[in-house]
Amino acid sequence: MKLRTALHILTLATLAPATALYAGDVKIIANPSVAETSVSADDLKGIFLQTKNSLGSAHVIPVLHKGGVLEDSFCQKYVGRNDSALQTYYRSLVFTGRALMPKEFDTDDEVVAYVAKTKGAVGFVSASAKLDGVVVLAVK
Amino acid sequence: MRLTKRLGAVYATSLTLASLALPNLLHAQGAIKAGSKEIQIHSFFSQGYAYSDSNNFLTMDTSSGTAAFTDGGINAQTQITGKLRAGGQLYLRNVGQLGNWHPEGDWFLADYRVKDWLGFRGGKVKSALGLWNDTQDLTFLYNWALLPQSVYPLDLRANTISHLGGDVYGTVPLKKAGSVAYTVYGGQRPSDLQGGIVYGLLGSGITVNSYGGTVIGEDVKWTTPVKNLMAGASFLDLDVTTQGTRISNSKPYSVFTQKDHTEAAYAEYSLWRLTFDAEGRREIQDVYKVGLKTGGNGTAAADMRGGFLSATGRVNKWLQVGTYHSRYYPNWPIKPRGIAANHLFDQTFSARVDIKSYLDFKAEGHFMNGTTGPNSYHGFYSLDNPAGEQPTTKLVILKLSYHM
Repeated sequence: MKLRTALHILTLATLAPATALYAGDVKIIANPSVAETSVSADDLKGIFLQTKNSLGSAHVIPVLHKGGVLEDSFCQKYVGRNDSALQTYYRSLVFTGRALMPKEFDTDDEVVAYVAKTKGAVGFVSASAKLDGVVVLAVK
Repeated sequence: MRLTKRLGAVYATSLTLASLALPNLLHAQGAIKAGSKEIQIHSFFSQGYAYSDSNNFLTMDTSSGTAAFTDGGINAQTQITGKLRAGGQLYLRNVGQLGNWHPEGDWFLADYRVKDWLGFRGGKVKSALGLWNDTQDLTFLYNWALLPQSVYPLDLRANTISHLGGDVYGTVPLKKAGSVAYTVYGGQRPSDLQGGIVYGLLGSGITVNSYGGTVIGEDVKWTTPVKNLMAGASFLDLDVTTQGTRISNSKPYSVFTQKDHTEAAYAEYSLWRLTFDAEGRREIQDVYKVGLKTGGNGTAAADMRGGFLSATGRVNKWLQVGTYHSRYYPNWPIKPRGIAANHLFDQTFSARVDIKSYLDFKAEGHFMNGTTGPNSYHGFYSLDNPAGEQPTTKLVILKLSYHM
């Protein structure tokens, strides 16, 4: 019985960090040139895998929030791979001439500022980020 | 001659290190600005050490232990307009007798993406074939120091690596059935006089002057509705002509392709921290040879088959381990397939340590059975093993790779 209780505690302790910030805490933002209010999960995945470079009539480019729980949470939920695997994927594109490496930023403010000034940019930030000059895309 | 080569290697190493250091400095500052455009610069470099218990492998002096196992590249790319991108990559390698530090334009292209489902690439383009053909030089992407040689032979890299021509490509959504990424391409296969075929023919008393021809291919990758399962198939049609001279009598020697078809089927599946890959290949080749050793002309045919199964697992942030089993038959109809000259099996165990996000170290053990025979030019060469080849080879590879 004590062993079972200990295992429950261990399981909770293991899962706690992973569930502390989940994809529901992520906001998808876009430059106002993207005349959409929502994006499908498949399209969002395509944008970040660079297999899709348009949304509606707008040309789009992905913008990354570098490392950390936020990126990992976003990648696992919407791209289907962890941030390390996504970086490996991008490198396979960059070193074969298939695509450029997406822009990466350390903070929400930097992501918001870049997305706001860059035509077609699509990024993700934490739910508490201050959003100026960008539109929020709902994920369908 | 040996001194000249050594001096050349020292010079080339210095040049390589200098050329690779520059982009690092630049990359550390972000990217280069050219007017309103940003030019991204990236580079990679790897240094290996190989030691085998018996046969020399891949033209390296592995039975004595060798560090002649180096490659690297540097690229620059920019987005010219929303749909137009251009760039290029220089690549050089010195693997035993292969490459010999000759820098080459690995790829240089312009890419125009009209729609998600339609794009065009032109220039020298990496060829899409199987799981890893276009990324086979980039071992920092993988758990392996040496990719499965049944499908990605290091010495025969140039046979499939790129084409001077164009691609049509795109990704087509299939709604609930996932999506399909396709590539159709055609062009001229570059002549590689620093590769395994030329080296192998030298061992047969033939010097090669040119070695190239046309290539047509297609590749389809299906991202299935099953989470983290991808499957694909490729086809390649080569029409290569080899022109050379037989050293013993100075008479011309030529090989004309009548048929050279390669088919590949492959799949990748990820679950939790595990990734599984599988690929099967078949190459059917009919050639017409002019200037045989006996003086006449003649035909030759081969039905080459190979494939591998691999599994990798991420242990923690720093360590990843993996294993693969690779099998290659140089001519499937030739029996018995169990003798060393008719097959090459390789059971590999590998550990990768990610020292930094841009630096990794690999230690890998290969347990090989078979040598594929003296005329297969697939890892084992008579010039490197003049006393004959042993039926088994144990090989250890250590490799340090960096990329930025």
